[in-house]
Amino acid sequence: MTISKTLRILAGLALVTAFVVPAAQAQDKPRSGGILTWFDYGDPGRLDVHAESPLVVQQATAGVFSGLLHYDPADPSKVVGDLAERWTISPDGKTYTFHLRKGVKWHDGEPFSAADVKASFDRILNPEFQSPKCGASLKPMVAGVEMLDANTVQFKLKFPAAPFLPSLASAWCRVAAKHILAKYGDLNQSEAQIGTGPFKFKKYERGSVIEWEKNPNYFIPGLPYLDGVKQFILVGGPTQVAAAKAGKIMLWDAWPPMRKTQADELARARQDVDIYQASINTIFLLYLNSKKPPFDNPDLRRAVNLAIDRQELVAKALEGAGVPCGILDPKLSGEFALPLEEVNRVPGCRQPKDQDIAEAKKLVEKHHPGGVDIEVAVRSVGNYVDRAQLVIAQLRKVGIRGTLKTHESAAGYAAWGKGDFTLIATQDRAMDVNDPSGVFHIAYTTEGGSNYGRMSDPKVDELAERALKESNKDKRRQAYWELQRYILSRGDTATVAVGWVEGWFFKDKKLQGYKPGLTTYDNNTFMKVWLSQ
Amino acid sequence: MRKALTMLRRQPLGVAGGVIVLVLIAVAVLAPRLAPHGPKEAGFAPYLAPSAEFPMGTDQLGRDVLSRVIWGARLSLYVGLVSVLFGITAGSLWGAVTAYLGGAADIGSQRVVDSVMALPPIILALALMAALGQSVDNVIIALVILLTPTAARTVRSIALGIIASPYMESARAVGASNWRIIARHLIPNCMAGYIVLVTTNVSYAIVVEASLSFIGAGAPPDEPSWGGMLTAGIQAIETAPWMIFFPGVAISLAVFGLNLFGDSIRDVSDPRLRGGLG
Repeated sequence: MTISKTLRILAGLALVTAFVVPAAQAQDKPRSGGILTWFDYGDPGRLDVHAESPLVVQQATAGVFSGLLHYDPADPSKVVGDLAERWTISPDGKTYTFHLRKGVKWHDGEPFSAADVKASFDRILNPEFQSPKCGASLKPMVAGVEMLDANTVQFKLKFPAAPFLPSLASAWCRVAAKHILAKYGDLNQSEAQIGTGPFKFKKYERGSVIEWEKNPNYFIPGLPYLDGVKQFILVGGPTQVAAAKAGKIMLWDAWPPMRKTQADELARARQDVDIYQASINTIFLLYLNSKKPPFDNPDLRRAVNLAIDRQELVAKALEGAGVPCGILDPKLSGEFALPLEEVNRVPGCRQPKDQDIAEAKKLVEKHHPGGVDIEVAVRSVGNYVDRAQLVIAQLRKVGIRGTLKTHESAAGYAAWGKGDFTLIATQDRAMDVNDPSGVFHIAYTTEGGSNYGRMSDPKVDELAERALKESNKDKRRQAYWELQRYILSRGDTATVAVGWVEGWFFKDKKLQGYKPGLTTYDNNTFMKVWLSQ
Repeated sequence: MRKALTMLRRQPLGVAGGVIVLVLIAVAVLAPRLAPHGPKEAGFAPYLAPSAEFPMGTDQLGRDVLSRVIWGARLSLYVGLVSVLFGITAGSLWGAVTAYLGGAADIGSQRVVDSVMALPPIILALALMAALGQSVDNVIIALVILLTPTAARTVRSIALGIIASPYMESARAVGASNWRIIARHLIPNCMAGYIVLVTTNVSYAIVVEASLSFIGAGAPPDEPSWGGMLTAGIQAIETAPWMIFFPGVAISLAVFGLNLFGDSIRDVSDPRLRGGLG
C-alpha cells in the first residue's frame, strides 16, 4: 500500500469518526420530548396520597407532587433533597431542620413556602387522620412540625430514629398546598392535584387513563425531559400482557410483576425491550380475623400457620419468583433478617409438611370435630384469585373448608379496613421504606396500618418500638432477630408471612435514565427519564 | 330394536344429540368415580402437557384438567337442569294462568315480561350476579329470572290458542271452575310446548353460566366451571393451550348435543312449534 493511499484511508476514517462519534454521543445525551406510556393495575378512584394506600393512587400522583426529600433518580439507594435544599440534625438526633428551595411555585402559580410543609405534615400526623402510609411511618417517630420562617421547617422527633429520613423520602410523604387543602378539604379530586412536581395533572378518565403534562416551571431547569406521561388503567393480567406485547406500554416496573410465562410471551413478541427479574420489596401476607370466630381462637390461627405450605405457594403462584417464609428477606434487609436456614426449621416452614399438617388437623378437630367452614376473601387483582384457590386447597387438608369470595379492588380494601372478613387469602404489602422496621410497623404492631387481623401483642409492640429507637447497628440487628424469633415461635399470629415477592419486569430499550426504586412506590416521578430515538 | 332403528332413520341428528346428552348425564352422575382426582386438588406440577398420567394436562395451579372437565359436566348439568326446571315451570304457569284470566292480569303481566325481555340477557345476568354475589346457587337464581319471562311469553301464546278451542268452551259450559279448567285442560295441553322449552333451554342455560364464569361473574373461580376454566386458560394460551382446548370442546359438545336433542324433541312433540321456540 502506498503512503498516499494510506493517508487517504486515514483521512476518510477521521471524517467518519468526526460525524459518527458525536452522533453516538448524542444518543447518550438526554433529549426532550415524547410521552412515556405506563399502566396502573386498577382504577385509583380516590387520589389523596396522604390518606390512601393502594399503589395505583401513588402511581397516579407520583410525578405531580414533590417531597421534602426523595430517592435520587440516578441512584435510588440515596436520600437527597427535593423541596429541601439542605438539612441539619441536632446533636441529640431529635431535631431536623430543613431549609427549603426558594422561588418554587405550585402548578396554579401560587408560591410554595414552609406553611405548605407544615399544613401537609400537621394533616398527616394528626392522630384523628387515617394515613396508612406516610402517617403510619412517621407518627411513631415524630412529635411535631414547626415553621421557623417562610423557608425553614423543623421536625421534632420523639427519639433519635434511624428510619426517619428514609421514611420522609418515601413517595407517600408528599407536600400538598395549604391553600388547596383549605379549598377542597382533601386531595381526592382531580382538581386538587396541584403540586410542585415535574408534571402537572392533566386528565383522569375513570377506568381508562391518567395523564400528566410537562411542568414548564419546574424548579429544576431543563427538567423534565418528557412532554408527558400516560398511564393506562389495565385491569387483569391478560390485558396488561397484551398491552405490553402490542407496544402500548413502555414500562412495567410496579406491582403486579409479570410471571415467567408472561415474560417469555413478551420476549417472543418484542425484541425492543429489556426484561429483568427483580424483587419489589413486597411481602405476600395472609390475614386471619382475630376478632371473629373461628380465628379468635389461637389454636385455629396456629392451625392455619402450620397448614399453609409457603414453599408451594411461592413455587406455583409466583412461579418460583420469591423467597418463602422469611418475615424479613435477607436479600433486602441484609443482616437484619434471620438466616433462612433457621426460619425454614420453624413449624409452618419446615419441609416436608406432614408433621405440620398432622398437628394442624388435631388443632382443628379439637375445636371443630368434622371440620369448619369459612369464607376466604380476596381482591380480584393480579393473580390473587389463583393464590386463594391454592390456599383453600391447602386448608382443606386440615379440615378447614373455604368458600371463595372475591372483591373488586377498592371494595376489598374497604372490607379489610372494616374487619369485614374471616380470612384474607392473600394481600401483598409493598414496603414504603427499605428499612427493617417497615413490615413490623405495617402489619404486626397494634397500630399497624395493615394489621387487618387486628391482633394486639404488647410484646411485639415493645420489641418493634425498641428496635426502631435503637441507633447502634448491632443492637438493632439483635432486636430485630429477637422480634422475628418471637413472632415465629408464637405460631398463632393473625398476620401470616408467606414470602417475599419477586417477578419479571420490562422497560422499552428507548427508555433512558430510568432506575427502579428500592420499593415499588419510589422513583416513579420520571423527572430524569427521556426517550431516545 | 325396530322402534330404535325407526327413530334413527327418522331423526338421525336427534339420536346423535341424544347419545351426547346421555354421555353428558353419565359423566355428570358418575363424576366421583370417573374423575381421577378431586376438582380442587392442586398437588401436581403446573402447566404439564397432556400425557398418560394427565390426559388433558394440568392447569396453572397444578390441578388435573381432565378431572375438572368431568366435574364441570356435573356443575353445568346441575345449573342447566335446575335453572330450567324452575324458570320454565314458573314462567309456563305464569303465562298459562294470565292468558286464561285475561284482561288486566294478562296485560299487566305482559308489560312486566316486555320490560325484562327488553334488557340484553347477559347484561341483566351480570347485574343480577353483581347484586347477588358469586356462587353457583346465585347463577341459578339469575338464570331463573332470565328464563321465566321467556317461558311466560311462549306458553301464553300456546295457551291463547288452547283457550279458544271448543273443548275449553265445553268445559266452561258444563260449569267447571276456572282452576279446574286450568289444571285439567289448559296446563296438560301446554305440556308439549313446555317440554320443548325445557329441552331447548338447557343448552342456553349452560352457555349463560359458562359466559358469566368466563367474565368472572359466575361461579366462584375455584369451582370446576367450564367457562371459568377458559378464563384461566387465556392467561396461558401460548404456554398451555390445552387449558382452553378441552373445556372449550366440552362446552361445544354439550351445547351441540342438547340443541340437536331439543330440536328433535320439538319436531316429534309438535312440528307446528318448529322455528318458534327455544
